[in-house]
Amino acid sequence: MRKIRILLADDHKLIRGGLRLLVEQQPDLTVVGEANDGRETVALAKSLKPDVVVMDIGMPNLNGIEAALQITQANPEISVVMLSMHSDESYVLRALKAGAKGYLLKDSAESDLIKAVHAVAEGKSFFSPAVSKVLLDDYVRKLKRSGAEDAYDLLTPREREILQLVAEGKSNKDVANLLNLSVYTVETHRSNIMEKLNLRGIPELILFAVRRGIIS
Amino acid sequence: MRASTSPNAAAPPTSAPDLQSSEHSKKLRRLLLISFGWLLALLIGAGVDALFSVRRLDRDSQEVSRRFTARNHALGTIIVSVRIYDDQIERFLLQDQLQESAPDPADLTNKIAAVRAALLEFPPDRDPDEQLLLAAMQQQLQEQETSCAIVQAWRADLRQQRAYQFIGQQLIPWRTRIFALSAQISSLDERKLALENLAVATRFQMLESRLVWLVSLSLIAGVLMSLVCGWYILRLEREGRLRYDALSRSRLELEGLSARLVEAQEEERRAISRELHDEVGQSLGALLVEVGQLSKLVPPEDRVTQGQIDHIKSVAESAVKSIRDIALLLRPPMLDDLGLVPALEWQAREISRRSDMEVEVHSQNVSEDLGDETKVTVYRLVQEALNNAATHASAKNANVTIVQNSDKITVEITDDGHGFDPARQRGMGILGMEERVRRLGGTFKIESAPGKGATVKAELPLHKADSP
Repeated sequence: MRKIRILLADDHKLIRGGLRLLVEQQPDLTVVGEANDGRETVALAKSLKPDVVVMDIGMPNLNGIEAALQITQANPEISVVMLSMHSDESYVLRALKAGAKGYLLKDSAESDLIKAVHAVAEGKSFFSPAVSKVLLDDYVRKLKRSGAEDAYDLLTPREREILQLVAEGKSNKDVANLLNLSVYTVETHRSNIMEKLNLRGIPELILFAVRRGIIS
Repeated sequence: MRASTSPNAAAPPTSAPDLQSSEHSKKLRRLLLISFGWLLALLIGAGVDALFSVRRLDRDSQEVSRRFTARNHALGTIIVSVRIYDDQIERFLLQDQLQESAPDPADLTNKIAAVRAALLEFPPDRDPDEQLLLAAMQQQLQEQETSCAIVQAWRADLRQQRAYQFIGQQLIPWRTRIFALSAQISSLDERKLALENLAVATRFQMLESRLVWLVSLSLIAGVLMSLVCGWYILRLEREGRLRYDALSRSRLELEGLSARLVEAQEEERRAISRELHDEVGQSLGALLVEVGQLSKLVPPEDRVTQGQIDHIKSVAESAVKSIRDIALLLRPPMLDDLGLVPALEWQAREISRRSDMEVEVHSQNVSEDLGDETKVTVYRLVQEALNNAATHASAKNANVTIVQNSDKITVEITDDGHGFDPARQRGMGILGMEERVRRLGGTFKIESAPGKGATVKAELPLHKADSP
C-alpha cells in the first residue's frame, strides 16, 4: 500500500518534532519534508508534491493562509490541513477560501491529526470538533439574540443531503451519480440551498456545514 | 519615562525671573499710573486757572470802563446843570434889557440844587486827588449860592445897573473855574483809565506766558510718558510672543511625546505578545504533544500514572489558554494574519461571546493592505469603544461601520447603552483613542448623552501606501 506523503510546516522546531513523532507512529503515513516558513513551504510543496501539507497559520515570511492559497492554486491535488490556535470563523473562512481542506486546533492536534490527514487524503473535509462547537455556539447565540429563525430548517431533506455531499467536497457529477439525479437537478438544488442560507461560494457553504455539525 | 521629565525640568528656572519681572512690571505700572495722574492734574489745573483768570480779567476790565463811564457821565451832568443854572441866572439878571418874562426866582434855587445834586451824584469811590478837586468844586458852588442869593435880593434898578458887571466879573470866571476843575477831573480819570487798562493788559500777558509754560510742560511730560508706555508695550508684546512660542513648543513636545508613548506601547505589546505566543505558547504546545505520547506509552491499566498524566495535560492546556488570551489582547495576530475587517469581525464575536452585547460589523470598500498604523489605530479604537459600551454602558447592541474612500477611512461605533456626557466624562480610554487618531492626522468625535447611547466616530486620512 502506498503511504500518504506529508509535508510539515511550522516555524517552531519543537512543534514539528512532536507532529513528526505522531505521524511516524502510523504505518501508512510518512513525513517527506519539514518547512520553517511560508515561502519554504510553497517551494517544498512544488518540488516534493506531497499528498498532504500540514501547516501552521501564523508563520513568518508569508503566513499560512497565503501559502495555502499559492499551493492549492498551483497544485489542486495537494490537500492542506491548517493548524491554528484560533477557532474563530474569520480564520476558518479565510482558510477555506485559501483552499484548505482541514482545520485543526493546535490544542487537539495530538488527538485529531491522524484523523484529519486520513480524511483530507481521501478528499473529505476535517474540522476539529472544538471549532464546530465554537462556530455553532456563535451561530445559535446570534439567532437567539436577533430572533431570526435557523435557515437550516428551511431546507428540504433532499437539499440537506446535497448540502452535506457538496460540503464534503463532492462535485456536482459525483452527487448526481450518488443520488441518481441529473447534474442539472443537482445544480438547481445547490443554487436553492445557497439562496436559502444566504451564502456566497463554497467556502461559506462548508463553514455553514461545519457550524451545523453536518460535516466534521 | 526619561523623556517626559525634560519639559518639567525646564520649568523651575523660568519661574524665578517670572516672579521678579512681575514685581518689576507692578512697580512700572504704578509709576505710569502716578505719572499719568500728575499729567492729568496739571492739564486740568492749567485749564481751570486759565478759565478763572480770563473771567476775572474780563470782569476787572469791565469794572474799569464802567467806573470811567460813570465818572464821565457824572462830570457831564455837572457841566450841563452848571450851564443851565448859568443860563438861568443870566436871563434873570438881564430880564429888563431883553424884555423877556423873568424866570421864577424859586426856579433859580432849583437849578443850583440840581448842580449840587449832580455833584453828589459823582461816584463815591474817589481817590484823594479827585476828592480834592471835587471839594474845590463844592467850594465854588457854595460861593456861587451865596452870591446868587444876593443877586436875587437886588431891586430892579440895581439889577439893571450891575447886571453886566456881575456877569463879567463873577459869573463867567466862576463858570470858567468850574469847567477847569471838571477838565482836571476828567483828565485825571483818563489817566487812571489808561493805567488800569495797562494793568489788565499786563495781567493778561502774564496769564498768557503762564499758559504757554504749562502747556509746554504737559507736552514734554506727555511725550516722555508716551515713550515710556511705548517701550513698555513693546516689551510686553515681546514677552507675550516669547511665552506663546514657549507654550506652543512645549505643546508640540508633549504631542510628540504622547505619540511616541503610543508607539512604544504598541511595540511593547507586540513584542510581549510575540514572545508569549512564540516561546511560551509553542513550548506548552510541544509539551502537550509529548504528554500525549507519554500517555500512550503507559499501559491503560496503570490508572495512577494515567491520572497524573491527565492532570499534567489539563494544567498545560489551561496555561496554553491563558497565554493565548493574554497574547490576543496585547496584539491580535488576526491583524497580520487576516487583515482589518476579519480581525474586527473576530473582535466583535469575541465580545459577543464574553458579554451580553451583540456586535455587528459592516464594512464597505475596505482594502486588504492598509498601512500597519492605520490598521492598529482602527482596531484599538473599535476595541476600546466596544469594551466601553459593554462594560460601562451595559449596551445590548453595537454596530461597527467602516467605510473606505479614496483618501480617507471612516470608522463609526454606535451602541444603545445608557450613554454619558462626553464634555464631562473623559477617561484615559477616550484620551488614548483621541491621541491615536490625532497622531495619524485624523479627526475624532464622540456623541453621547445620558440615556441616548453613544457614537464614536473617527476619520483617518489615507496615505498612498494605504490606498487599494
